[in-house]
Amino acid sequence: MTKFLKSTGVVLALVLATACGGSGSTTSQVSNSTAPGTLALDPPFRIASLDAATFEAELGATTTGAQLLQLTGAPACGVDFYYVKFWTVGGANEATESSGALMVPTGGTGCSGPRPILLYAHGTNTNQALNIADITDPTNTEGALIAATFAAQGYIVVAPNYAGYDISTLGYHPFLNAAQQSGEMINMLAAARTALPKTLTSATSDNGQLFVTGYSEGGHVAMATQRALQAAGAPPTAAAPMSGPYALEAFGDAIFFGNVNLGSTVFGPLLTASYQHAYGNIYASPADVYSPTYATGIETLLPSTTPLATLFSEGLLPQSAAFNSTTPIVTIPGQPVLSAQLTAALAVPSDPANPLTPLFAAGFGSPYLINNDYRVSYALDAASNPDGAVPTPAAGVPLAAAAPTQALRLALYTNDLRHGAWAPASPTLLCGGDQDPTVFFSVNTLTMAEFWSALPAGLVTVLDVNAAPSGPFAAIQTGFIGSQLQLLAFYQTAAGGGLSLAAAEQKLVLGYHTAVAPFCAVAARSFFSQFAGG
Amino acid sequence: MNTNNRALIATAAVVAWSWAVPAVADDTVYNNSFRLGSETVFYHTKADDLSGPYVPAGVNINPKDLETLYIAYVRHIWSGFEAELAIGYPPLAKVEGKGPATLGSVPYNGEVISTARWISPTLFLEYKFLSESSLFQPYIGVGVNYTTFYDRTSTAQGNAASGGPTKLSLTSSVGPAYTAGLSFNFSSRWHLYASYSIARVDTDLRADTAGVIRTTHIRFGPQALVVSGGYSF
Repeated sequence: MTKFLKSTGVVLALVLATACGGSGSTTSQVSNSTAPGTLALDPPFRIASLDAATFEAELGATTTGAQLLQLTGAPACGVDFYYVKFWTVGGANEATESSGALMVPTGGTGCSGPRPILLYAHGTNTNQALNIADITDPTNTEGALIAATFAAQGYIVVAPNYAGYDISTLGYHPFLNAAQQSGEMINMLAAARTALPKTLTSATSDNGQLFVTGYSEGGHVAMATQRALQAAGAPPTAAAPMSGPYALEAFGDAIFFGNVNLGSTVFGPLLTASYQHAYGNIYASPADVYSPTYATGIETLLPSTTPLATLFSEGLLPQSAAFNSTTPIVTIPGQPVLSAQLTAALAVPSDPANPLTPLFAAGFGSPYLINNDYRVSYALDAASNPDGAVPTPAAGVPLAAAAPTQALRLALYTNDLRHGAWAPASPTLLCGGDQDPTVFFSVNTLTMAEFWSALPAGLVTVLDVNAAPSGPFAAIQTGFIGSQLQLLAFYQTAAGGGLSLAAAEQKLVLGYHTAVAPFCAVAARSFFSQFAGG
Repeated sequence: MNTNNRALIATAAVVAWSWAVPAVADDTVYNNSFRLGSETVFYHTKADDLSGPYVPAGVNINPKDLETLYIAYVRHIWSGFEAELAIGYPPLAKVEGKGPATLGSVPYNGEVISTARWISPTLFLEYKFLSESSLFQPYIGVGVNYTTFYDRTSTAQGNAASGGPTKLSLTSSVGPAYTAGLSFNFSSRWHLYASYSIARVDTDLRADTAGVIRTTHIRFGPQALVVSGGYSF
């Protein structure tokens, strides 16, 4: 028996010696640093690798994908989709991990080797789980758009998901916070530049050219990033902010005075939560701003993993009634005329000559989101410290108000991109659609164009995709107008719902802001191609 | 030369040797034996499809059959009963992708995506029929198998399919094992053996690619064809 045990012991020793050999495999390294711009996981995870033919086939397999291909053209390059995690700071300078996409073109000439980087800022999304890098997610339409438009045409695309989304545990999103969001874009860019040489696609490298663009909220972010890069002495090669709320104070004034934009009940809570965290003075309690119906839980409502339609149906948010349909009576001691004017200005819009009156009027109701008292406090500040663009454009450059005092209006002023002495030093395209019911083109894009009207000719280009076709973007304008007409006709067919003309027009308005995005993206690509090398 | 051919040649060599050397059987029984030979392992694998983020439906794995060195120590317990501790030289097991031809545009089906070595000692209690002096003795056995994996490596192709450098882990397994064989006794010291063994191995695979975790449960039913020579002392 002793012999048996000895022999067994020898074998077991062999077993243990070999079993302790350990794993021969490793994975990405987790950074010990949480400094802004640090790549948190090195190398990043590649979600998918699609060659040009596969990408084209996958896009072509869906109706929307096929339409997108018609607009962007067939992919010239394959695309590797990386999921980048990096460190940044929130609106109150608190450290937070964030994430985003690094889309790397692959293939032959024009797709690999040194390539330009395109830094993209996405539009508002209520889905807290948003991951723009996840091309396998069929709801990630904006990810597919930028991949097809830019990455598949040879641009290395870098696009953050934003703090407050995906893996970020911030608990809120620093919505339209110019300092935070531009900082996060620059942090993501630094992380992506660190990651790129270590990816599975290291044959594609940074050629040093940088293009900045973004849509809607991302238009504001893109312009703020352009400003921040310029201030840091590293201006982008060119920029193309698209359909963004750049002139925030003017835009806020327009909304509070009754021009309620589509989506205001979503943007409102995102905005106040963002500015409350950044500045701490928007309210003492959410009930100062929000009606009792919605005040509870409003601070943390958005973004959410609960679908927006569910938030509406469960009564956590009104679908469109931003303001009380009962008009507040403004009483300013000793100023009856001004009081009457303000009261009238705060009434439910009813001008039959304005085609947008039904849209604006839909922003009023009961239950409503924002208290009349709060609305009046905003209006009083606007009356005392008028914006240069709204309600009536002042003569000359439409400056933001010099010194607003109402907390929300002051926050809007702080983040208004007219604020601060700057002007683009790089070629800039401002693209949008003049009928945009979500982010008003005239208040934002045209105000900025006017604000920069003294700059050298050609430095800032304005493109209204809805204007009569002319100039270098005529084909894009023709395409957009044609697509709108096609949609209008389609909505009136049985397959499109058999809507009346009026109902079809209304549906077209509801989808207008989204419909402009791919046309502006293609315009941005065309604009950048003048400067892109390689 | 494929695995089956090698096994066939090994078997033929053993049979040829058995005819060339006259068998000398006596009644002497030695308590200890070592066996050395060739072990051909046929995997019979059932694995759940991989689950986790960014994994399309139908992604699976397929371990490849292999051949390795067989080593065993046998202890005579009492008449007809023996204990066998069998262990193969840790082979490099290759795992192929099974499922879609490509993941995105990355080749998958049939690609070697990972390798691992495993050590898999099995302790059998065996019963030998007929007397020790018989030229042939059939035997059967039942036992317990312990399997542990090491040197787990995701290949470059595996990393490409997984999305980056991937750390693999496989849990160890304890399960039943069965064997049946035939010994050919040249003498009281020298023997030839041929056996077929079956074991049950359950393991959980966990693949970590930059914090993205994919898992599957794998049920092996490895069947080992062993041809070996033995020396008793």
